[in-house]
Amino acid sequence: MNVLTSVAEVSWFILLVAAGVAALVGYLYSHFKFYARSWFFPVVLAVFPALALAVSGGLLGGYTLKLWLYFAVAEAVIAAFFRYAVKGRHTVPYLLLAPAFAGLALLLVYPFVFEIYLSFHDLKLTTIMMWKNTGELPFVGLDQFVKVFTTSPLSETTFWELLLRTLVWTFSNVFFHVLGGFILALMLNNQIRFKGLYRTLLVIPWAMPQVVAVLAMRGEFHFTNGFVNIAITKLIDKLPFLAALGLAPVQWLSDYPLLTCTLINIWLGIPFMMVVILGGLQSISSSYYDAADIDGASYFQKLRFITLPLVRPVMMPAVTLGTVWTFNNINVIYLVTGQAGGTEQADILVSALYKAAFTYNRYSYSAAFALVVFAMLFFFSVFYLKSFDAAKDER
Amino acid sequence: MATVQFKKIVKRFGDNLVLNGVDVEIQDHEFVVIVGPSGCGKTTLLRMLAGLEEISDGEIFIDKLLVNELHPSKREIAMVFQDYALYPHMTVEENMNFALRLRKLPRAEIASRVAEASNILQLNKFLKRMPKQLSGGQRQRVAIGRAIVRKPKVFLFDEPLSNLDAKLREEMRVEIAKLYQRLNATILYVTHDQVEAMTLAGRIVIMNHGIVQQVGSPIEVYRKPVNLFVAGFIGSPTMNFVPGRLTVKDGTAIFSSEHLSLPVPAFVLPQKEALEGREVVLGIRPDDVLVERPGGEKCSGRIDGVLEVCELLGHRENLYLKVGGQRLLATVEAFFNRSPGSAVGLCFNYRNMHVFDKATERRISE
Amino acid sequence: MKTKMTAAAKRRLVKSVLLHAGLLLFAAGCVYPLLRILSVSLRPGDKLVSTDLSLIPAGATLLSYSKLLGDTMFLRWLWNSLLITLATSFIGVSLASTAAYAFSRFRFPGKKAGMILLLSSQMIPAGMLILPLFLMIMKLKLMNTYLGMIIAYSVSSLPFSIWILKGYYDTIPRSLEEAALVDGTSQVGAFWRIILPLSTPALSIAFLFNFTTAWNEYLVARVVLFSSKQYTWTLGLFELQGQYITQWGMFAAGSMLVTIPVLCVFLYSSKWLISGLTLGSVKG
Repeated sequence: MNVLTSVAEVSWFILLVAAGVAALVGYLYSHFKFYARSWFFPVVLAVFPALALAVSGGLLGGYTLKLWLYFAVAEAVIAAFFRYAVKGRHTVPYLLLAPAFAGLALLLVYPFVFEIYLSFHDLKLTTIMMWKNTGELPFVGLDQFVKVFTTSPLSETTFWELLLRTLVWTFSNVFFHVLGGFILALMLNNQIRFKGLYRTLLVIPWAMPQVVAVLAMRGEFHFTNGFVNIAITKLIDKLPFLAALGLAPVQWLSDYPLLTCTLINIWLGIPFMMVVILGGLQSISSSYYDAADIDGASYFQKLRFITLPLVRPVMMPAVTLGTVWTFNNINVIYLVTGQAGGTEQADILVSALYKAAFTYNRYSYSAAFALVVFAMLFFFSVFYLKSFDAAKDER
Repeated sequence: MATVQFKKIVKRFGDNLVLNGVDVEIQDHEFVVIVGPSGCGKTTLLRMLAGLEEISDGEIFIDKLLVNELHPSKREIAMVFQDYALYPHMTVEENMNFALRLRKLPRAEIASRVAEASNILQLNKFLKRMPKQLSGGQRQRVAIGRAIVRKPKVFLFDEPLSNLDAKLREEMRVEIAKLYQRLNATILYVTHDQVEAMTLAGRIVIMNHGIVQQVGSPIEVYRKPVNLFVAGFIGSPTMNFVPGRLTVKDGTAIFSSEHLSLPVPAFVLPQKEALEGREVVLGIRPDDVLVERPGGEKCSGRIDGVLEVCELLGHRENLYLKVGGQRLLATVEAFFNRSPGSAVGLCFNYRNMHVFDKATERRISE
Repeated sequence: MKTKMTAAAKRRLVKSVLLHAGLLLFAAGCVYPLLRILSVSLRPGDKLVSTDLSLIPAGATLLSYSKLLGDTMFLRWLWNSLLITLATSFIGVSLASTAAYAFSRFRFPGKKAGMILLLSSQMIPAGMLILPLFLMIMKLKLMNTYLGMIIAYSVSSLPFSIWILKGYYDTIPRSLEEAALVDGTSQVGAFWRIILPLSTPALSIAFLFNFTTAWNEYLVARVVLFSSKQYTWTLGLFELQGQYITQWGMFAAGSMLVTIPVLCVFLYSSKWLISGLTLGSVKG
């Protein structure tokens, strides 16, 4: 019974979304199709504001003249735009794009703009009730942005420490992802037996649900029960001189949380790079290698002068994306250190941001913080892709 | 079946003028081949007729009906694409009857049409297969079959043989010729291969730079090319061109270049065209360069040349000759037993000699 | 000559042994944690915490599984996750498939801006959009519901899906659609009858991507859902893993149960995944 109602609820919602998409497409189609007719303005002005009023009134429970007026003005602007600017051109692509971009506007662009609004105001625990009652917030200008750079988002770590930590985290992760991925891809790109089996086993860290993978790996770093320390202990038992060199079980989670997170994330991220690089390697025609063999190139010369340059175009977008993902990776750090009383030693920018918002309830501050992080990433990517394009043009 | 008319067709891509006023009329039951080098606009013209490309200016009629604004499927045409464009997720049979299913024809009618087409093209064995299980030639046949079942007014072929290897191409060429005799349809066929054009066409349309250069039967365009472009494009191996100048002495025109000079008789070049000092280009096909053979009265006098390279083709042999600094190619019967470097005598066959004005590039000989 | 041949053969043999050894080592590193979970899930209750490294523990038992299914709402959590995930994936892939087609086949003003919007959306830090979404869902009175979760998830993978699908569409020759137009379909009909059926591999990848993102999501769920009846499995499992060491066995059992189906689907489709990813990035 419970199952049936839940299925009904979700199917009903999907139908509602479909109806919304149909309504949107129908609305736009009428504007694309009839923009030139003499009755265009009167008809759309009569029909659509009234429809919108009926729908929104039904949802919000109020049919006011003021609301209708808003809709009518909006419709007039839209209709004029279609008549004098769009003129029925490019109907098909815009109609195809409309549903996706309406969704993005509602659930991505609007929240983004809302974050910008928040970052110029002050929403925190003490002002949230006032905001709920009056809908107004104190305007603070650029204060929040100043605070981002001057005060600490958490209880002790400052923004600059976090930034440095994030850069180290991102660089070391991406570096080892690419290195590990490359080595594995090169090994797999040989004529060997059980190739498919190896590939299957090697993508398991990527295929496992991340929550499970991270929590399981976290268990392996446990002081007494984790594999890492057990292995160290057994090694010392066998080879006692190692203990004299200072090898001993480590309090991974409390003493080296960032290192632990990095090791876990490297383990998680290598398969993706391996798969992308393997695809690139397989697309290289073997005739290049034949030619290089005839020219007398050694294995490493072939790697340096043929493999690397030819895999680069495939790797670059993946590396960019991987960098952005790693920079923004909150899962691993939050899942490893995020529980009550967790350490701050491993926090990077984005996890600090999440904690500032949802542990310390400094909403506006975290909004400003998020915008700063976004801007940094955005400029990094633009710069990166530009330089990649330039490199492509040179060739 | 139907007629097709292109009237002053213009196509622009941005500032780029691809077709510049094309006027062609195609009769009922006619096999017309449009030929030209790549980028000459021939495929664009075909795609405009199919309705896949917007018409910038001008009008296209099928059976006297203006089709400029008509959806491709309403034009009653069928098209065979260069890459065949077989739907990879449908069997051969489904590929062939897709259009008929879309038109909701009765099932029996669909079945009989597919059966008929697959009989003609010997595709019966393959009806249940997927396109990727077929060889290139079989795919080609399916693409043609897909066109046949629709019984269109006009068949459009867009370089259909260019993806096949040489031997298969020859076979398919014959198949298409047979098919034309059998269907007796109006066919518009685009190719860059002048051999296909010569062998298949009832009439050839030769295009270059978006302009129609010449329209005529294969014999006409071969024997009487209207300009330098057509002369150079049609015929294999390519025609020899010798640039030079005319002088008139005692009523006979004399052609002279840096390396050779010869009289041009009046039956080749009419008197009114033979102007003193006119810059011209002499055109002579390799077949009409006679080497070490008595010319007879309709030939030029002996010209002295040197043999540079021989190329045996089997029953024929290509001779690369040099007259002074002027290179000439002659095609002769096989086994011309001379070693490279030896001196040979040659003469031009006046009956097939062409004279073009150098400035306008137009033909001025008879 | 003969000795040379054997030298070459020897070198090949050494190379292949080294390759296999290296790959085995790495593969073991990838699989071992999974096997450890399996081992923990099979341990009897009194030996949950041990320094034993053997994979099949002494006295292996399925007790953890029966306790997980009997004493907790694990099945309910799985069902919640499944429903939310399927709905979001369906909505996400449908929206992405048409939008990607527009980007792949048409030229229109705003195309470049749209692509840049998609790309830059990848740079929005996780956690940035959670608060506005949270407030929106609260306003719509959809807290602690499936619908709230579906709304919050539905566009999260949209940019990446559009990117992948566009890359795939770009490889389908245009002449196929033109043939369909000549055969009598409309532009939209050609998309529906020709392009979509041909794109099944890419659509599966997009679906898989949507599915795994939503299936593994944790942060939004933490904020939106608060009654354990509505939990997704990620929330439930995290809770189990929490403080009480006695639940470690149940956590492991639950992990196995959510991992195995996802792993199967993933491995089954990994071939397509690889081709889709490389295509997407090469032609991107």
